[in-house]
Amino acid sequence: MARLIDIGLERVSDILMDMANLSEKSVSAAIESYMTGKPRIEEIRSWSEEIRQLQDDVSELCVDIIARYQPVATDLRFVKAAMDIAYGFSRFGRYAFDIVDVLELCGDLTNCEKGIVELTSKTTREMLKMSVDAFANRDVELAKNVQKMDDFVDDKFREAIDRAVHGKGEDVKCAVSESLILRYLERISDHSSYIGDSVLYIVTGERAPRK
Amino acid sequence: MSGNQELAQEDVATQDLMTPNDGTGTRGGSGFSIRDLNVFYRNLHVLKGISLEVEPHKITVFMGPSGCGKSTLVRVLNRMNDHVEGFRHTGQVLLDGKNIYDSDVDPVLLKTKVGMVFQKPNPFPISIYDNVSFGPKIHKTFKSKDALDVIVQQSLEKAGLWDEVKDRLKTSAMRLSGGQQQRLCIARAIATLPEVILFDEPASALDPGSTAKVEELMVALKKNYTVVLVTHNMQQAARVANKVVFLYKGDIVEIGEPPAMFENPKNPLTEKYISGHLT
Repeated sequence: MARLIDIGLERVSDILMDMANLSEKSVSAAIESYMTGKPRIEEIRSWSEEIRQLQDDVSELCVDIIARYQPVATDLRFVKAAMDIAYGFSRFGRYAFDIVDVLELCGDLTNCEKGIVELTSKTTREMLKMSVDAFANRDVELAKNVQKMDDFVDDKFREAIDRAVHGKGEDVKCAVSESLILRYLERISDHSSYIGDSVLYIVTGERAPRK
Repeated sequence: MSGNQELAQEDVATQDLMTPNDGTGTRGGSGFSIRDLNVFYRNLHVLKGISLEVEPHKITVFMGPSGCGKSTLVRVLNRMNDHVEGFRHTGQVLLDGKNIYDSDVDPVLLKTKVGMVFQKPNPFPISIYDNVSFGPKIHKTFKSKDALDVIVQQSLEKAGLWDEVKDRLKTSAMRLSGGQQQRLCIARAIATLPEVILFDEPASALDPGSTAKVEELMVALKKNYTVVLVTHNMQQAARVANKVVFLYKGDIVEIGEPPAMFENPKNPLTEKYISGHLT
């Protein structure tokens, strides 16, 4: 017989998976918008807002579960992790919006070199997808692999800043937009990595030191 | 009352008769060392080779599903099972290094050292004062009426009941609420100057407010006593315990400390039990 708490935990899981799908869709759409120059700000703003509302739903449900069932052990770890993961997804939505907002701020970027962003975004999207899969399947190994990929994105961001600061003859608009977008990708990668930490915590109880 | 009597009473009243003046500011310090304890009721093997340290000035909680042996284990600690038909045991239960089952140990005196509070409050149908003074009178642990008054007052104070009953000490204990009756039983246990107090589901019949008072009391009492608690209530265990012993089918499965044991238990059986998967 299922426990009463399981109904609440499954509902939280379902909302988190909805958030995961919306997050992946938002980040992919934002990167595509930057690559193609096709503005999608309103669409992504609406998804981002939807994700944020879902984060509130997760928080309320988790408080409800704590108040009703006083979860312990794996249940307790899941509830704590769910709130952290929901926050991570809400950040994905926000960074997706920030990426499309760069187009609004900088205007036409057709002539900018976008190879580094394209390369980095592939890794970032892969990390995001892997963190979602790790959560869905409680896959500790996959979660650890997400964490290993984080350094690549960090390096790309730092290189972009270095180019923007020290580069000669660079188009300022291109340098600023590339740096901003790589910064958002770097934050998305960090939060993917944190979701991996949360998966590890749910399954093993181990807490990863936050970088 | 003559001036001398007043002075004598004042002298007694200013002493803390419940706490020996040993410079530590605490009393108690007795712990149990349970070694390879097996308990049987006729052919039923209820406790299976239990070895455990119950440390002084800590709250040790025995937790587990019905029939796991936790009540048997707590009752072994003051020989409450001696008269249960078919009871026998092997192994040792050492209190301050002395096996409480040795032939030269008086079980009645043992019960003054190891007090017990039960699930259901069980005050005697006599006055509040007489309930608390019952043990000291039986064991003659006081030298004067004034000293007995002080023991009653200090016991009720330590049980957090004095302010509520000081003006009606001669009224029947049966007129107290359930929570007050339970604290009276705690005062009655304290009055015999025990080293250890055993609590067997002491709050399971109480409302949340009374439960909170009993829990606060247990935490306060550990300063001067060794406290052992049996409970089904995991949240209660998490709130008050220093050490949690999880028993299942007569064995110790896991010993841990809250909150870690409730967040990340090491044994899958503990996880199942506390998560409600084990019936």
